[in-house]
Amino acid sequence: MSKARCLILLLGSLGSWSVARAQDVLVVANKGVQISEISDADLRAIFMGTRTRFADGSHAVPVTLKGGPVHEVFLKNHVGESPEEFRAQWRKEIFTGQGAMPKAFDSESALIEYVAATPGAVGYVSRISSQDGVQSLVVVK
Amino acid sequence: MRLFLLVFTCAGSLWAQDLAGIGVHGFVSQGFLFSSRNNYLSMKSSDGSPQWTDGAVSISDSLADNLRVGIQLHMYQLGEFGGSNVQVDWASGDYRVKDHFGIRAGKVKTVWGLFNDSQDVDAIFLWILLPQGSYSIDHKSFYLAHVGGDVYGDISLGKRTGKLHYDGYAGQATVDLNDGYIKQFAESGLVFTSSLGGKTYGGDLQWETPLKGLTIGSSGNMQAVDGTAPAGSIHSPAKLVPSMYARFSRGKVYFAAEYDRIPIHATVTIGSAVIPFVVDGRSWFVMGSYRLRKNVQLGSYYSHYVNKSLDTTQPANYSKDWVVSGRYDFNAYVYAKIEGHFLHGTGLGYYGSTNPNGLAPNSKMLAAKIGFSF
Repeated sequence: MSKARCLILLLGSLGSWSVARAQDVLVVANKGVQISEISDADLRAIFMGTRTRFADGSHAVPVTLKGGPVHEVFLKNHVGESPEEFRAQWRKEIFTGQGAMPKAFDSESALIEYVAATPGAVGYVSRISSQDGVQSLVVVK
Repeated sequence: MRLFLLVFTCAGSLWAQDLAGIGVHGFVSQGFLFSSRNNYLSMKSSDGSPQWTDGAVSISDSLADNLRVGIQLHMYQLGEFGGSNVQVDWASGDYRVKDHFGIRAGKVKTVWGLFNDSQDVDAIFLWILLPQGSYSIDHKSFYLAHVGGDVYGDISLGKRTGKLHYDGYAGQATVDLNDGYIKQFAESGLVFTSSLGGKTYGGDLQWETPLKGLTIGSSGNMQAVDGTAPAGSIHSPAKLVPSMYARFSRGKVYFAAEYDRIPIHATVTIGSAVIPFVVDGRSWFVMGSYRLRKNVQLGSYYSHYVNKSLDTTQPANYSKDWVVSGRYDFNAYVYAKIEGHFLHGTGLGYYGSTNPNGLAPNSKMLAAKIGFSF
């Protein structure tokens, strides 16, 4: 196999890894939330602060990661904003007294721990295990 | 300037704080203006002036799922405006009964047009100066907030018709004694020593259309002003100040446009002289920007203002401004901006006391800013 073909295969595998990673974003919620699926529109509204309740009527507490590829993929796919625009929108809410920014976490494990312990909490991670104490929500278009 | 240096040197330890559920945020920015001919915004800008510092700290807490209280303290120095005194920017309680109905009361930011409530939050904009025909920075203290209450909410119209956001308010607004209006009156011989203001009410309706990223809106504000000075008084009955706007934001692209009309039919009394003070301000702007990289944004706007109640061929009665802007974000907290202005007309932002030799009709200006937000 030539060096060029090796390089192409390597780049190809990197590409598929990032696509797989993009598809790996899971929306997770506290187990007390009585829904199993959520629409993209509702996710956007909850994370932009224009909706405060899930479809079951319970209070929604959105939480985010502070940065990284999972954060970027979630915002792009489900909120329709770049991290920069998302941050600017929330800073507008904060500094005009119209909202409070979602709590943000450095790591997925810290986010999962908070979601598991907080009624109504909803966030996103790349993967969960059965021991995490959270439920994953199916996102419908 | 000293406030900016203090906060900037402490930047490493001043990330957004969440103290037992209490959110603490803040921003500081330091600006610099250099103009080719006239002195702008009461600064000696033709020599280059750094007399432009803004800083605020906000504290908020959620007392229950749908009940939040907060306060923001703000200090600004813009040439001769503002000062070292700290003011309450907003202080309110917010009870969101349902998504479609909430109540906010206290000192509340006034929603009008695209940017009125956020015009002093430098960190969220590409622009250093917003279009001055609509958001004149030397008069902002009067328009920013009211003491009273708002009702607001979001109403979903269904997947195919988008969403409505409404805000209605009533209260009292006052003019800061260190504001540009007060300086203009003082230059005419009417020196106010106590604040003036009046009742205000109005509303804003935004339609988030089914076309992703496109929002269309309209605002209306009624504002009365009364004030008494040792040498006279001013009376301005409430007039409707309408605004219509549209905004498109998707991915790296942002476009916005707005049309406003600002009518004033006031009576100024100085001694025994009764002087009518009539303004029919018409302003509009179009703006666009593109995000080249995550931390680099470029854009441009054109802002147009004329006072239709006077001879609109005279430079003193119009202001037209072509602007190009750039912003670089060092990280999520620190940014720098640079902006060029090509100004035609002298209808906005100039004062006789800082331009004793008169005004040139056209000028250029360079603005730069560095800011920190957490």
